[in-house]
Amino acid sequence: MRKLSVLTLVVVLALVVSAAGAALARQNVEITLMGWSSSTEENDALLAQVAAFEAANPGISVNVQLVPEYDTTIQAAFASGDSPNVFYVDSSKLPDWAEAGVLASGEGMIENLDDHYESLLEAFTYDGTLYCPPKDFSIMALQYNKDMFDAAGLDYPTPDWTWDDLRAAAEALTGENEAGQKVLGLVTPPNFERWLPFLYQAGGSVLSEDWTEVTLDSDEAREALEFYIGMVNDGIAGPPSMVDAGWGGEAFAQGRVALAMEGNWVISYLVEQFPDLNWGVTELPRHPAGGQASMVFTVCYSVASDNDYPDESWQLANFLTGPEGSQLVAEEGFGVIPPAISAADTWLEAIGPEIGEGFLAGAEYAHKWQFPVGFQDVFDTFNADLQLAFEGQYLAEDVIIDTIGVAEEVLAR
Amino acid sequence: MAQPQVLARPKVTTMAAKRRQEALTGYMFMAPALVIFLVFLIIPIGAAVYLSFTDWNGITPVFDEGAYQQVGLDNYRDLLLGEHTEDDGRVVKATTRQRDFFISLKNTTYYVLGVVPTQTLLALILAVIVNQRWLKAKGFFRTAFYFPSITSSVVISIIFMWMFTRGGLINTTIGAVFSGYDSGSFVNWLDDPRGVIHIILEQFGVTRANVGDWASNRSLGLTTWEWLSGPSVTMLTIMILNTWTTIGTMMVIFLAALQNIPSSVYEAAAIDGANAWRIFRQITVPLLRPTTFFVVTLGLIGCFQVFDQIYVISSGGPAKTTLTVAYMVYQNGFNRSAMGLAAATAIILFVIIFAFTLLQRLFVSERANV
Repeated sequence: MRKLSVLTLVVVLALVVSAAGAALARQNVEITLMGWSSSTEENDALLAQVAAFEAANPGISVNVQLVPEYDTTIQAAFASGDSPNVFYVDSSKLPDWAEAGVLASGEGMIENLDDHYESLLEAFTYDGTLYCPPKDFSIMALQYNKDMFDAAGLDYPTPDWTWDDLRAAAEALTGENEAGQKVLGLVTPPNFERWLPFLYQAGGSVLSEDWTEVTLDSDEAREALEFYIGMVNDGIAGPPSMVDAGWGGEAFAQGRVALAMEGNWVISYLVEQFPDLNWGVTELPRHPAGGQASMVFTVCYSVASDNDYPDESWQLANFLTGPEGSQLVAEEGFGVIPPAISAADTWLEAIGPEIGEGFLAGAEYAHKWQFPVGFQDVFDTFNADLQLAFEGQYLAEDVIIDTIGVAEEVLAR
Repeated sequence: MAQPQVLARPKVTTMAAKRRQEALTGYMFMAPALVIFLVFLIIPIGAAVYLSFTDWNGITPVFDEGAYQQVGLDNYRDLLLGEHTEDDGRVVKATTRQRDFFISLKNTTYYVLGVVPTQTLLALILAVIVNQRWLKAKGFFRTAFYFPSITSSVVISIIFMWMFTRGGLINTTIGAVFSGYDSGSFVNWLDDPRGVIHIILEQFGVTRANVGDWASNRSLGLTTWEWLSGPSVTMLTIMILNTWTTIGTMMVIFLAALQNIPSSVYEAAAIDGANAWRIFRQITVPLLRPTTFFVVTLGLIGCFQVFDQIYVISSGGPAKTTLTVAYMVYQNGFNRSAMGLAAATAIILFVIIFAFTLLQRLFVSERANV
């Protein structure tokens, strides 16, 4: 009898506790936000945004997870059915993840559509479905070392520079520094995405509009690639490793190249680590016929399709990317540009207009960095061939033929 | 007659019961290890084999309906054959996958051929040296040689990257010694896709252009000329790095074995008038044979699976010359959303390593019997 009553008590207690727990849980929803760790300032700004969201939405708490090896980590989370509620998606990964069905559709869920750049929304639309609101973006522009231009007696680059101006300047600025180290005019990373602006400026394209045909077999593509490779073969440009650097920004910061074509991620790197560097920025040069183009690299906040709290998740994504959330980021004034058009002026103000405008101007005409699922094979082939072309072992024509072959194979898969 | 049986029976049952009891206790003691072995080894390997027959993308939750389709041997066919004809006569190409696979296999093979003999030989020499009685400060040298092995391979890789950059320590040191070697002619250790054998041939005036048509024959997606490239300069750098980090471990294994050789054997040989070299050739080396087998096997397996140095230093570049099979598994699984293909690549790698180990076992045990 006593035993039974003890048992009853335990059961009743357990029921009470679990019921209370459930009630509490309903009141206090916890959603997980997963992303990669950027600079300390950027991480802090995100935490400030999240704190503002939590203050405005009592009952929702956000568990922020900034993980290293993001792609690997989140892929494991997806595969095991343990997806975070809200997470970063790079525009280049969108096709893969949309195809895999792990992203919730954003149709009818995304607010403030008018306040977002058309080119960014386009970058997060796949197969006619808009998936997620942009988090921030970076645009490729031309950075120049003012001291080196002054020393050579050259005028600073302007937005109406053409390829010919770029080439002439690179030629004039190639030489040696005081330490006897080689200095190149321009740094040209051996990467597909760094060459793409030249292709687009020349009026070429990689794929047809509907992604069913490879359109690289064109005079425009040959012209753009011959120009890019030609500068390296002539010794006035080269990959970062040729000037002892890991990436273009580093080569530029160390004064080993006079010109670089990085995105606005380079701002905080240069400002924080090389405060003495005297540099400026302008839009990428145009094709001699006037064609203007750049690349936009952007990330969005996506909501998981497998989600216990879809409404709360969309609330968070919309807040972070909306006017209020964007302002919070814009005021901090670090490298990446906030997604809301209304926050652009605040960002320019914070970062300094003479630097910000060179990047921001490209938002009008930049192309998205996104290709069909499996295109990594194409990039790898192109990059490998491009390196051989830099070494003089391949011609532009060889690179194009190889790349077309692989691209057609991937599309047929 | 009945009585002894009655007496005997309980005795038999207690023995059997005791045995069962003992066996049970034994299994109980082994249970933790067995469970770990099952959960972390057998089941994942089984899952990998299973997934290699599917087209799973590695993203869609694996237990979801329609997460993957059974594709039979398609992944293996793409990797090994490159192209095939469908039932309706259509030719489907997977030449990139085949090419990448054989490029990675070629790179890995050069890597293994370079690293395994070098590290085994160097480890043996080091072990013999630090085993000498006349050597002062043995403890210091043993620790110093072993140190790279216990340091994080990522940290070591990053330090190597600094040393081997174009204007880095290695090049400036060589430049200080040889006057003709300056910043104009520095070797770009970390970003040079040229094959070492190609470079040597070029010194003798042999190039792709003048070597003859046979060089352009394609087998398994690569031209004969490409097959004969040798490791690229960048791969060579990684080979040097890996040799340096692993000889410490191998040295310790050799050292333990050396100290196990009874001194009476050496004394007998010395009395018979053998000199030091002869003792080494005919006493030390044969007695070390089981250890050598162990070291070479460990080396083979480790080298075929080389991944972290590649991941940190070169990501498979320049021009895919440091793409190894293990790195390709990672790329297929995580960069290309083709986990099924990655699993198939891993299984093929497993088969290769297994075959080499068996072959080498056969070789070594035959030699041992002679």
